[in-house]
Amino acid sequence: MDANETATVRGWDPLVKLTHWGIALAVLVNGVFTEEGSDWHVWVGTGMAALLLVRLLWGFIGPKEARFSAFPPSPTRAADHVADIVAGRKLAHASHNGLGALMAYALWATLGVVAVTGFLMSGVPGTASARVEAPMVPAVTAPLAPVAEEADEEREEADEAEEGEGGEGAEGGEGPEWIEEVHEVAANLLFVLAALHIGGVLFETRRSGPAVIRRMTGGVRG
Amino acid sequence: MGRRAWVLAAIVLLQAVAAVFFVGDALADVREDGWRAHVLVEGTIALALVAGVVLGALELKRMLAEAQRSADALAVARGALGELVAERFAQWGLTAAEADVALFALKGFDTAGIAELRGAAHGTVRAQLAQVYAKAGVSSRAGLVALFFDELLDGVAGPR
Repeated sequence: MDANETATVRGWDPLVKLTHWGIALAVLVNGVFTEEGSDWHVWVGTGMAALLLVRLLWGFIGPKEARFSAFPPSPTRAADHVADIVAGRKLAHASHNGLGALMAYALWATLGVVAVTGFLMSGVPGTASARVEAPMVPAVTAPLAPVAEEADEEREEADEAEEGEGGEGAEGGEGPEWIEEVHEVAANLLFVLAALHIGGVLFETRRSGPAVIRRMTGGVRG
Repeated sequence: MGRRAWVLAAIVLLQAVAAVFFVGDALADVREDGWRAHVLVEGTIALALVAGVVLGALELKRMLAEAQRSADALAVARGALGELVAERFAQWGLTAAEADVALFALKGFDTAGIAELRGAAHGTVRAQLAQVYAKAGVSSRAGLVALFFDELLDGVAGPR
């Protein structure tokens, strides 16, 4: 139903484009530029979570192509698309192709994990739970490991100080260690998925033309 | 609709960011101090923002659907007019060359323009146009155009 050989495929709607590029920017900024656990990191993460939530809402109430029902996560569809690739068939898809759909869900799930674990550690910026700094181990860049250890020590000291004051540390905003672990692993996974995603789009563009990219980069009317 | 849809989408997203912030803030406050008036106010703001996000998204969807409908209607109208023209040309028994010339005439080209486009002599085009008018039962280019307008306005061509 989503394959149509004659019709020119329409560009994604403004909300899809804004959430897509907004989240991409947030992932780049928080993965590369902001200091983990810093206010900026938490702000950017909060914004990303909001964009993600709106895109998921849009998956239920948005236009046909943007809805989950237009691209159900289905191994069959993914296999169909692989068969299309092997056979050299170039079908236009009104929504995502079978493989692209799986990637979309994988990215969203991972973003969701990153957002939830991030929130559990730091809350939203400027609030009670974020006031106690919760420095984190940098997720992506291995060379920064020594810094990470320092941050770890600092945090442990903060923990101890808090416990010393008789507080249980719950409002300190740093959950158990595993939350941090999950946050980092998911963040790293996110970059792997993003790289695969970009690779997939480039592959599909070489295979069946620039329409795939233009749908997401096209201008106001695009 | 282009720009308005973008503006609305951007507003929806800003509201969503604000909503997430207030929900998070309220949750943190509850955890810290329990339920207090301050939390209720924050909760209310969060609720209002969430409602704004949902309604804004619905409105955006309506706007996009509306734009799509007009685009579709325009395409149908174009296609319908094209079909009508082809149908009439066939009824009148126009030759291929005459049909070409007649179509250019409908599109507003004058004799010189048509001659240039077809790489034909003025006299040839003028003769072909005369043939078209005669077969269509009109005496001028205006008459030819009016035939189609008349049908469209009458709804003789039939709305789909």
